[in-house]
Amino acid sequence: MSEWIKWTAPAAAVVSLTSSAYAVQYLSIPEAQKLAFPSATRFVETQAGRVWKAQAGDRVIGQFVFDRVIGKHLFIDYAVALGPGGQVQRVEILQYRESYGGEVRQGSWLAQFIGKTRGSSLELNRDIRNISGATLSSLHVTEGVKRILGLYGNSAR
Amino acid sequence: MATAPDSLRRARPLLGTFVEIVVPRPARRALCDTEAAIAAAFGAVEKVHRLMSFHDPASDVSRLNREAAARAVTVDAWTWRVLAAAVDLHRRSNGLFDIASAPLLQRLGLLPDPDARAPAASEAATRDAVELLSGHRVRFRHPGLRIDLGGIAKGFAVDRALEALRNAGLTGGLVNAGGDLAAFGPAPHAVHIRDPRDPRRTMGPITIIDEALATSGGRFDPFGSANVIDPAVVDPRTREIVHAVAGVTVRAPSCLVADALTKVVMIAGEAASPLLDHFHASALLVQQDGGVRVTPAWQDRRAA
Repeated sequence: MSEWIKWTAPAAAVVSLTSSAYAVQYLSIPEAQKLAFPSATRFVETQAGRVWKAQAGDRVIGQFVFDRVIGKHLFIDYAVALGPGGQVQRVEILQYRESYGGEVRQGSWLAQFIGKTRGSSLELNRDIRNISGATLSSLHVTEGVKRILGLYGNSAR
Repeated sequence: MATAPDSLRRARPLLGTFVEIVVPRPARRALCDTEAAIAAAFGAVEKVHRLMSFHDPASDVSRLNREAAARAVTVDAWTWRVLAAAVDLHRRSNGLFDIASAPLLQRLGLLPDPDARAPAASEAATRDAVELLSGHRVRFRHPGLRIDLGGIAKGFAVDRALEALRNAGLTGGLVNAGGDLAAFGPAPHAVHIRDPRDPRRTMGPITIIDEALATSGGRFDPFGSANVIDPAVVDPRTREIVHAVAGVTVRAPSCLVADALTKVVMIAGEAASPLLDHFHASALLVQQDGGVRVTPAWQDRRAA
């Protein structure tokens, strides 16, 4: 059986993150719109900077909702694509800004939104494993998706 | 912005965390195919969640927990694979890796109880309690047995996402599910491991090439403090939350193995060496008293 070795971090390798902010730009709004609705021919803004109807010709094929929630300290931009029936088709992070400590680990809850419609019950405490270590940032995205589902989930016409 | 111009990064909130996929930036004409590959990889993660969620009543795990004690239940091939790996890990770890500790976790308040009126499970009856039958059928040998794949499914999801990228013909990529991550291809990836004793610090970058890495920490606050950074690991022998080890990081050929072995090392500490060797894995262990220890293989890789 192999013996474990005491590990001493080289001082230079220990990075203090107290003041480090971290930002990743994943997608712009137009990029995310095209990815969420590849067959759309245009996006009609129905609420300035926030909600768009995705149309293929004259047919409405869904809604694209942009939102921003506070993570642990800074904002996280994300978008929710709702299908024609008002169901969540896709949730994508557009921009992630966080001071370190913002990432979260474990749990298994947000994917439960995929396919959920406004009528299906969804309660944070019952449906979501927040106890297993979900910290504020992903919890806030969860709450944001829930809010969007309530506001726009049945109006995709 | 931190996005390297030579890579394409996408992130979605899945598995209770932010799952990030990074691939080499393709030529403009291949962009559409690359986006499709990334979407397929996220799709694999969603599928794992749908099949293995403890909470979704329609998942394979929920169906097993409801019915498998009464009759054999047919599950998806992926669920079957994870169960087979879990049974193997349970045996090789002398029971320390245990997917059947769901009733215990529920009692400790770590998992919600979907059916609080159910009779208490016989907790002693978890050994060899999951019977794997032909045709992806599964039967529980004990009534009251409930499984939770939370300690292994996330790693499996990362592996399946990576496989989707590979099958799509990409030359490399990295999938990171909130710290459980794996990479393929020739490019090295620098990973910072957060110091479990002080989340504001990291313990130096390590370089991974074509391998997986998973981290587990023992911090747990049953009252739901915002400072909770990790799930609890419970020692099935004492039925208590592990305290001696502050955090463990395991590197292994697959993320499923890395994910599962973090839990075993959290409980067994240095005694987990033979198991790590068996799976060609290495580990870094942060003790609650501040000591940091690594297996020789870990050291070799650092030097390499």
